[in-house]
Amino acid sequence: MEAELHRLQTEARAALTASVNALGLEAFRVKYLGRKGLFTTVMRALGDVPVAERPRLGKLANDVRQELEEAFAAREAELAGSQMAVGAPRSDLTLPGRLAPFGKSHPVTQVMEEVCAIFEGLGFAVAEGPDVELDYYNFEALNIPPHHPARDMHDTFYVSDSVLLRTHTSPMQVRAMQKAAPPLRMIAPGKVYRCDSDITHTPMFHQVEGFLVDRKVSFGDLKGVLSVFIAKMFDKKTPIRFRPSFFPFTEPSAEVDIGCVICKGEGCRVCKKTGWLEILGAGLIDPAVFKMVGYDPDAYTGFAFGLGMERIAMLKYGITDIRMFYENDLRFLSQF
Amino acid sequence: MKFTLNWLKQYLDLDLTATELADRLTMAGLEVEAVEPLFVGLDLVKVGRVTAVAPHPNADKLVLCTVEVGAETRRVVCGAPNARPGLVTAIALPGAVLPSGMTIRISKIRGEISEGMLCSEKELGISEAHQGGIMELSADLASGRDLVEALELADTMIEVDLTPNRADCASVIGLAREAGSFVGRHLTAPIAGELPALTSANLPFVVQVQAAADCPRYVARLLKGVTIGPSPWWLRRRLLAVGQRPINNVVDITNFVMLEYGQPLHAFDFACLAGGRVEVRRAMAGEQLQTLDGVTRDLNPEMLLICDAEKPVAVAGVMGGANSEVHPATTEVLLESACFNPMSVRRTSRVLGLGTEASYRFERGVDPQLAPQAMERAVRLLCEITGATAVPGGVDYREGVKPRPTITMRVTRTNDLLGLNLDADTIVRHLASIEIPAVKQADETIAVAPPSFRIDLEREIDLVEEVARLVGYNDIPTSLPMVPMCFPEQDAARLMRKRLAGIMIALGFYEAINYSFVGARHCDMLGLAAGHAARCCVPLLNPLGEDQGVMRTMLLPGLLENVRRNINFQTTDVRLFEIGKVFHPVGDAQPHEKMHLTAVLTGRRKPRSPVVHFGGALVDIFDAKGVVDAILDGCRLPQLAFVPASDGEIAAPDQFIRLMVDGQEAGQFGQLSLKVAKEFGIKQPLFYLDIDLEVLSGLPPAVIQCLPLARFPAVRWDLAVVVAEEVRAGDLVAAIYAAAEPLVEKVELFDIYRGKPMEKGRKSVALSLTYRANERTLDDATVGAVHTRLTDMILTRFKARLREV
Ligand SMILES: [Zn+2]
Repeated sequence: MEAELHRLQTEARAALTASVNALGLEAFRVKYLGRKGLFTTVMRALGDVPVAERPRLGKLANDVRQELEEAFAAREAELAGSQMAVGAPRSDLTLPGRLAPFGKSHPVTQVMEEVCAIFEGLGFAVAEGPDVELDYYNFEALNIPPHHPARDMHDTFYVSDSVLLRTHTSPMQVRAMQKAAPPLRMIAPGKVYRCDSDITHTPMFHQVEGFLVDRKVSFGDLKGVLSVFIAKMFDKKTPIRFRPSFFPFTEPSAEVDIGCVICKGEGCRVCKKTGWLEILGAGLIDPAVFKMVGYDPDAYTGFAFGLGMERIAMLKYGITDIRMFYENDLRFLSQF
Repeated sequence: MKFTLNWLKQYLDLDLTATELADRLTMAGLEVEAVEPLFVGLDLVKVGRVTAVAPHPNADKLVLCTVEVGAETRRVVCGAPNARPGLVTAIALPGAVLPSGMTIRISKIRGEISEGMLCSEKELGISEAHQGGIMELSADLASGRDLVEALELADTMIEVDLTPNRADCASVIGLAREAGSFVGRHLTAPIAGELPALTSANLPFVVQVQAAADCPRYVARLLKGVTIGPSPWWLRRRLLAVGQRPINNVVDITNFVMLEYGQPLHAFDFACLAGGRVEVRRAMAGEQLQTLDGVTRDLNPEMLLICDAEKPVAVAGVMGGANSEVHPATTEVLLESACFNPMSVRRTSRVLGLGTEASYRFERGVDPQLAPQAMERAVRLLCEITGATAVPGGVDYREGVKPRPTITMRVTRTNDLLGLNLDADTIVRHLASIEIPAVKQADETIAVAPPSFRIDLEREIDLVEEVARLVGYNDIPTSLPMVPMCFPEQDAARLMRKRLAGIMIALGFYEAINYSFVGARHCDMLGLAAGHAARCCVPLLNPLGEDQGVMRTMLLPGLLENVRRNINFQTTDVRLFEIGKVFHPVGDAQPHEKMHLTAVLTGRRKPRSPVVHFGGALVDIFDAKGVVDAILDGCRLPQLAFVPASDGEIAAPDQFIRLMVDGQEAGQFGQLSLKVAKEFGIKQPLFYLDIDLEVLSGLPPAVIQCLPLARFPAVRWDLAVVVAEEVRAGDLVAAIYAAAEPLVEKVELFDIYRGKPMEKGRKSVALSLTYRANERTLDDATVGAVHTRLTDMILTRFKARLREV
């Protein structure tokens, strides 16, 4: 019996090596390992050996069978892997993967986090304020008294005479400066509101306001910081230009344009054929604002800037209708 | 503000193209919105002279015109009533494509050949005027000339988007002054220099101004012998080019001078002014005036009026009254050139909802020195064009005109602010280029007398900006601020929100952002009780619509609207979350704003995976519970308790769990009741969760203490018991933990079975208990003893029996 087992082992090893395709392997399985195979036949003989010998021989028989089964499995895998197998079932790798769950941030959030991360890297702190703001912080303290024509630039939602939905995140400038003495470096991301709704305006949108106050901060510094930001946010080679503009809480005030990311400056529909895209508003903080918060305007200077997140996301991703951001259609959200 | 290149060139010798000028203006802070060539597509339109008119044999309303076009003669079928021999008009020749898109061809009209078309101004896109028929051109225009050349139509319109500070550029002259700095030249205005003072002796009218603060200056003159009629072509052309409709010569002149100088003018029919009197005063309560647009306006005592001896005749600075309007029979005109308080005009214009070219300028501020110049210009044009004579003298009330203080500009300060290194002379030169007189002083300062036309220049910083502008922002060197190194404060609440968003995304949720304002009807759709806290919200005074009328008190309704939209577009597997503010009123003060995390899930359990792998099983409440578990685990908040409850107003019965901490509700989740789902148009089971982040932020931060890893093996023993249906499996698990047996490491529920051989109303609950000791390998006897104790406890406590295997 023992000898028989060893013989079978040797023979089967050779037969396995000789099997070069799925057909051969199947023949091997039937001949040696099958229910009516040679191995089963030998095992049946175990009943005939002396009782004392049975455990030892039983273990030997099991070991041999296990070895052959493992070798068979290995050979089978090997053949399947070498693609030499013909006609046998194989795994179909064109089947889709079992996707693990995964969602995505809203594109506006993605852009906002990117913007915040750049300024945080430059040492700006992040501060958030109330969406429902006092007229004082939204306008008056920013040098926009009642009945100033600059209020036309802000179509404001009112809650009462003195309470409104903030039209920009600039009120955080005042709130922060009231709380702390210079130097200050801060950005204020958040939702802002204007009563306006069409293909390029939604009544709610997102802004990041930033400002820096210290001694001897110059317009050149403003240009420098914004240039660093634009190089990081877009491309190192993105052209930038600064144009005079007007905001009541900055002077000198500037609009900052970047070379059109769509047409690379050639002129297209998005940039209205100018080759430039308006991307943010900025300026040196107006001395009147410093006076409002009790800073000495002769001792301190600073700059402030504000930019819209939707606009950047639209440019970055080629989104043509701003309203899509707030429909929350998964066909849209899953693209970013 | 619209103007044309040729119009501007009337005052300034400018050798720039329209595009070059537009670029320079934009870079000077006068952002150009549009550059449009005017009157294009008129290539084959010529001046023609009608030499003969004959009836059309086959049509009563048409005639056959013989038209001389230079050396050629054309036969043209025409239907215009004013076609007559001798008329000089416009003829579009075959091949011409008119602005309407119409192509002119040689054609037969009712059987007669027509070799062109005689055109009206409207057909040529020149104006809206059509009624009179074809164009009536000056008889001295030679036929055969190009119409564009003969009428000097070739021009380019430029539109500037003015910022509120540049009131001076709401005029062609103001823009010409600015453009002068581009080419180093100064403009020539039609009326230059000081004008002789007006004398008010022996005038047939009086002017009385009640308050100088409301009306700093009021200039009035009387013109007699006015003949109202259409304006000459050059005047109409200027107005048409900037999109204004010519009305009659008097009105057109006032509009033209306003565009030219930026000074709004108003012409009254003097015959309509009772008592020959002009009073500038506030309205009295209850007064009314029908304005030129035909609307009767209720006036309030805040509003400034122009009145005669009896009644209001104009809303000052906004619009004239119909009762004193210039009309075809007018022969005497009282012309007003005044300066009103910007704030007063703005308030009045707001309250009346009436914005005009005049109010636009007054709101921004009109140079008080302009009034007499614009008056002189208009009077000259009126005399020239309408045949009027000006009554000598006039009124020039100027008590409100204040001298302006000189501004001191520090050279060092200017350079520090801009990051430049300019000397005083350079600064003076820059300012002089836009006619700002500046004088260098001994102490490194510059004395600047702000010119009257730049009412925006009041402080040193205003001049610093002018210098920056004139140097060119792009020529200011770029630098980086020298700042102390410091680590900015991190806002813990913001960090938590970022962490939560990360968890939700990892769980397959997409982030949604909805408007902060919603419709108040959301509360009804949710079926909230009358006094429910969520019904108490902050309304907007001026919402865009009813469905954006109040600040939201819950995030869920917005997400439910999103789900409906997605389902409508056939995306039925939806997982969305939003982290945003809700708003609760606090009296008249700013509302209380707090952050919530709300999520919804509906559709298949494995939304992004193919059915081939997972089948189409739908999510249930345990998916929602698993999400909450993951959030609590990810945010390290083990102290929150899940409390099943039945009083969830928007949840399906018995499908609602509160998250409690220290007796406070931190959130809830459940299945949306079918009734609410239906209100939102959702027909599939939907689960939601809502967490109050204000409560979470208030919890003490979790202390993380690393535990040693077990060195000895654990053993698992199973326990299967049959209990009544009402017994909750979780209570079994909790009871085992509560027994506090030190060897019990973990209790897991692995099967619940109902059916044979058990009787109805009972179920089998199978638990797997993991036992482990930290310092040794457990033997069967030790585990057996504990297991038996626990089994007995369960059997007694839950009236259970062991399930026979
Ligand atoms: Zn472009």
